[in-house]
Amino acid sequence: MHNFAIFFASIFTGNILLTTYLGMCSFLSVSKELKTSLGLGAAVVFVMATTTPLNWMVYQWLLIPFGLEYLRFIVFIIVIAAFVQLTEMALERYSEGLYQALGIFLPLITVNCAILGASLFMVIREYTLATSFFFGLGSGIGWALAIVAMAGIRQKLKSAKIPPGLEGPGITLVIAGFMAMAFMGFSGMIALT
Amino acid sequence: MAKSKLRKTFVEPLGKNNPVFVQILGICSTLAVTNKVQNTMVMTLGVTFTTALSSWTISLLRNHIPSRIRMMVETMIIAAFVIIVDIVLKAFYPEMWKQLGPYVGLIITNCIIMGRVEAFALNNKPLPSLVDGFASGLGYTYVLLSIAVVRELLGSGSIWGIRILGSWWTNWSIMIMPPGGFFVLAIIIWVIRETVMKEESHA
Amino acid sequence: MSVQRSFYKDRIYPLIFMFVTTLLCILLTSGLHLLTLDRAEANELSFARRAILQAADLDFTNTTDGIERAYRMQIGEEAGFYTATGTFGTRYIIPLDGPGLWGTITIMVGLEEDLETFSGVAIVSQNETPGLGARIEESWFTDQFKGKRAPFIMVEEGTSSAPQEVDAITGATRTSEYFKNLTARVPGEAQRLIRGE
Repeated sequence: MHNFAIFFASIFTGNILLTTYLGMCSFLSVSKELKTSLGLGAAVVFVMATTTPLNWMVYQWLLIPFGLEYLRFIVFIIVIAAFVQLTEMALERYSEGLYQALGIFLPLITVNCAILGASLFMVIREYTLATSFFFGLGSGIGWALAIVAMAGIRQKLKSAKIPPGLEGPGITLVIAGFMAMAFMGFSGMIALT
Repeated sequence: MAKSKLRKTFVEPLGKNNPVFVQILGICSTLAVTNKVQNTMVMTLGVTFTTALSSWTISLLRNHIPSRIRMMVETMIIAAFVIIVDIVLKAFYPEMWKQLGPYVGLIITNCIIMGRVEAFALNNKPLPSLVDGFASGLGYTYVLLSIAVVRELLGSGSIWGIRILGSWWTNWSIMIMPPGGFFVLAIIIWVIRETVMKEESHA
Repeated sequence: MSVQRSFYKDRIYPLIFMFVTTLLCILLTSGLHLLTLDRAEANELSFARRAILQAADLDFTNTTDGIERAYRMQIGEEAGFYTATGTFGTRYIIPLDGPGLWGTITIMVGLEEDLETFSGVAIVSQNETPGLGARIEESWFTDQFKGKRAPFIMVEEGTSSAPQEVDAITGATRTSEYFKNLTARVPGEAQRLIRGE
């Protein structure tokens, strides 16, 4: 039940992009196109859902027993980078189709703050392994949802008349603000446990 | 000659090459704490420290880093500086450290740092790189601070935790909530692009 | 010869370089960590002690030394709870933790001798959203509980009037609710810990 609540909270009310602004850089630049957004979104879901529990294991089973918690920043980023690299290599070798669809987005992911963010939040909030998985999966889905929705809206805006200073990132931020407000509306849906 | 070049390196990131306005880089890690001026100040100082010193260190090593592992080495050095910030905060400003929580660690993925390292430090001498990193950090600091001032003033009626507006002021809660950050940043970018940058492009 | 050279340049050198950088980074940060370890641990202890003093509503100077002195003079440590003695008689301070929106909230609650009236509440640790739920740490929020009895009713920020009512935090309705649930458990926990019932 608790995992379920965390899962939904991290997609909607606590959407990692819309409440903590993580992953803004790629969000602003990639959301121009719907197709690219879908690809990047899917890659983020996959990487976040796997690296968050992976980092949990590394943190609980390696770093804590040796008293090396303070090295977690370096270790997490290495785990993420290595995982992304391995996935890319595996995809390239075994699945041509998937590599075409996701492969090109993978290098972008290592520098996506949301991925590292999910792992850091997982540590600070003292989640269990299962909760980490649901939190990572939910955060990834939430991020993908936000970028795909934004790409859809931006395509509609292509022919709209926007003040020159607001074009591009400006108007995207305004829309993101409204999206954040809309997502806050989900607060009532999750009952307190 | 060399001096004026250094000066240019320092001034550009503050004005027309400001990392936030021009490239919209690096807002991820700090925007979340801009609902309080104090937290923003500490975070941006951390970013400035990391940007300046990572640029300097990588510039020192620039002729020795093997290109195939370049990104890994850069990330490692940046992460080491961020860990230093984290340890110092934990030991000397424990209350601030608790409030900032995971955001200190997220400085690692701040695109400005990697951006300056890749674009400047790899091709320049250590001193200009240090200046460039420091100035980029400062340019970043004042933008984020202005966002924080607006958000805290309108959202809590205070600045730096000190009440400025009287009891007649009704707090705009939306300002301290996430949507407020998006709106204020959008408006600031709009204003700057319409005024400062327009003049420069005409000139 | 040239083949060997490029093998060294392509494979061995990057490996050595990476290894040396990693080692240096880890040595540097580990050194700093060890240097500040005592200080960080002292901070943790000081935090917990300050929370106990605040919950007991005692006066103290907010420095590490001030906290230490006040704590030594007025606080007694019992199994699972603390006592504070002074002109007000005896107060009992109990630690309590429960779920928040994102993680566990740990608090210290001070109670008068009746074990129902709150003398104060202090946050030991929490992981709520900075600037929103994390405002439960601010004194205007925790001070509201002084002299009141659980259970509380959370009302809109700035509108509390009845003795049971406390101002909730705007934009952090759920953290406020969790906090209310946590304080509701206080009388029961106090009976169990102090009276052993």
